[in-house]
Amino acid sequence: MAEPQLPKPPLMTLVKKTKLWKSIFRHDFTDTPKTRIQRIFGNVFLHLHPVRVSKEAIRVSYTWGLGGLSFYLFLVLTVTGILLMFYYRPTSLLAYQDMKDLTFAVTLGGFLRNMHRWAAHLMVVVVILHMVRVFLTGAYKPPREYNWVVGVILLVMTLFLSYTGYLLPWDQLALWAVTVGAQMAANSPLLGNEGPFKLPFITTANDARFGLIGGTVINDATLIRFYVLHCVAVPFIFTFFLMVHFWRVRKDGFSKQTGEKVDVWPHLVSREFLAALLVTLILFVWSLVLQAPLEAQANLNVTPNPSKAPWYFLGLQELLVYFDPWIAGVVLPTIIVIGLMAMPYVDTNPKGVGYWAKMGWRKVGPVPIWYPVERPFAVNVFMLGTLMWFVLIFIGTYCRGPNWEWYWPGELWSHRRLTKMTLKNIPNLWGALLMGAYFALGTPLPQAIKARLSRLAGPKAPRLASLLMHAGLGMTMALAIFIPILTAPDAEYPVRSNSPTLFEALGRSTNAPVVSAMYRLVQEAGAGGYAMIGVMILATGALLGWLGVQLAKLKDRLFEQKGLIKYSLIIGLFLMMMGVIGKILLRLLFGVKYVFSLPAFNFNI
Amino acid sequence: MTTTTRIHPRSSTRLMEPATTNPAAPAPAPRPATPPEVFSEAFWRQLEERFGRRQFLLKSGWAFFWLFLGGWLLSNLRYLFPNVLYEPGLSFKAGRPEDYALGVSEKFKKEQRTWIVRNEEGFFCFWARCTHLGCTPNWFEAEGRFKCPCHGSNFNRAGDVIAGPAPKPLWRCAIQLADDGQLIIDKARLENRPGSREQGEFFFPYKSA
Repeated sequence: MAEPQLPKPPLMTLVKKTKLWKSIFRHDFTDTPKTRIQRIFGNVFLHLHPVRVSKEAIRVSYTWGLGGLSFYLFLVLTVTGILLMFYYRPTSLLAYQDMKDLTFAVTLGGFLRNMHRWAAHLMVVVVILHMVRVFLTGAYKPPREYNWVVGVILLVMTLFLSYTGYLLPWDQLALWAVTVGAQMAANSPLLGNEGPFKLPFITTANDARFGLIGGTVINDATLIRFYVLHCVAVPFIFTFFLMVHFWRVRKDGFSKQTGEKVDVWPHLVSREFLAALLVTLILFVWSLVLQAPLEAQANLNVTPNPSKAPWYFLGLQELLVYFDPWIAGVVLPTIIVIGLMAMPYVDTNPKGVGYWAKMGWRKVGPVPIWYPVERPFAVNVFMLGTLMWFVLIFIGTYCRGPNWEWYWPGELWSHRRLTKMTLKNIPNLWGALLMGAYFALGTPLPQAIKARLSRLAGPKAPRLASLLMHAGLGMTMALAIFIPILTAPDAEYPVRSNSPTLFEALGRSTNAPVVSAMYRLVQEAGAGGYAMIGVMILATGALLGWLGVQLAKLKDRLFEQKGLIKYSLIIGLFLMMMGVIGKILLRLLFGVKYVFSLPAFNFNI
Repeated sequence: MTTTTRIHPRSSTRLMEPATTNPAAPAPAPRPATPPEVFSEAFWRQLEERFGRRQFLLKSGWAFFWLFLGGWLLSNLRYLFPNVLYEPGLSFKAGRPEDYALGVSEKFKKEQRTWIVRNEEGFFCFWARCTHLGCTPNWFEAEGRFKCPCHGSNFNRAGDVIAGPAPKPLWRCAIQLADDGQLIIDKARLENRPGSREQGEFFFPYKSA
């Protein structure tokens, strides 16, 4: 008779009883309320999570997991980056050859490089989307203002990591993108050799550009500098800010706190895992199908035509077309970053935290418009700014061809297309008047003055005053644009210009459609043409005035709510943003180079 | 108290100085009998607590700490500016003037990033670097323009900006005739101001036969 045999304990059960196992894993993994907590508490990688979280806060359609995915992509980039470093030597003689080796001779080298490149692109997208999500769910509002600031720093560093990374392949794209980027440093005020108000001791051999690239030309010194920045220095600082960012998320709490709570293990951890898995899958397919671009070897003397930065910097590259380099390359980015950082401190509206901005339909005339109901100004301005950035990227990507000339999307490029391009400055006094009138549009009509006006001249007086002010400013702006273009002599005639007047010079060019249309009108219809132009000026003035009147109510309310300092900051940033659109239109439609120019100080707007 | 108070002789003389140097000065106004409330004992104690020896030592200690740390970090900024550069030379020989035809020569563009221009009066040399953000423009003979591929600046034959965002004319390099009869060009010496750029070392007169 065989003895009844006890069922043998499975191997795993035995292993789990060993001292070794117990020394590593402190608790068992059966699914009980206790172990769900222990899994978070007892794990160094998970313990940044809370153990329980609001069910609504981890709804996928609330966060889309964008913050976590940004971090995951950072990890992917770290790992692939470390692997790439095994084969890459940062000297100008070897770097490009190593890239070729990685792509064609090293097993899986090309795949890793693709993955590094595409993960970087994806990270930029995800970080931007994360910012948009945080904005639209009001998650930057107290007590999370400071963490928004840290987030902006992380966004800037993400872009800086991309920028330092793309010199490393030592191909043409790399070299010229970095040439342009470094030259922006040379245009910074005071410290740049070509910037405005440069200090007397600044030369090409000690200015900001020299410090950035480690020499006067981009060379081995630059390559090793960017290599260290990209692989060590920036990730090091990035990690610090990342720690602060995570820590603050935990300490300040999620923006959504209400409702039923669920265990983070498994509810949140599984979502994070699935999101990471999905992104990994996308990255794998993407890297298998699409090769990361590698242009010809860097040549300091030859620039590809057209030379385009990677897409996320094309907006900046396009912006550089319209302004003096120090404005587009230094001042505007600084203002954008400071404006983003200031947002939670000036937006004191407590509404809109913890849910996506409420949208509704509103009719403007006969047109139905999808409109934010709850905090319209904040949402509209932020989304307009984001949209503008992507419109600039779109223009840079699809509307710019050889010699950075305008080509419509789909239009065939020609390197030998004959154009008659010219740009002219508006005389400074007119430009100052234009800008003055423009920024004066920001003036509010405070309650006290309104009350006084209605006491003095009846209840309709404040509205009339507002109307007069805005119509007047609008008309001034229209006149300050059109009068100099129609009447000013061309200062460059006869040396650099064949036409004695701005009107003729711009009217004959191919890059100022409005002025050429006006010029043709005058050529063909004579005085009638001038009459039609007059009507156009009046219409432009009226339109600008009307826009001002539309904003009047908002301005007055903002002023009463926020007080002088916050109001000035908000309206100043807002006008600057809209002013960028204005300047772009002046350039594209009227061929205006600068509205205000002091060449002796390199001060051109 | 039996302790003797020592007064340094110099301090006593200094106290007397005003009286000796200006005997005509009016006597100081007599002090009010009772000091005002601000100079009460509590005031002095507070002053001691805020600016006293302990505070002085503490604050100066921290001040030196931050000064040291800041100075050290700033000195590392200087460390990032190299003193010796390993960069290609900036002057080169560009052959004999008689080998050039009238017009813009692209012969040395790929090697030396320069255009050598010959006109009826003589030679000058452009540095092929856009004054906007440093890309290399291309020469378009048909239009008589240098066009930059990065942001679309256009320059005319004289190097003056006629379109696009560039703020300044193209730079011209120093150009002279070397002893061996070749043109010698120095990219370290640059000029772009009208008037100065057409003379001196930036223009080499060479009449066409």
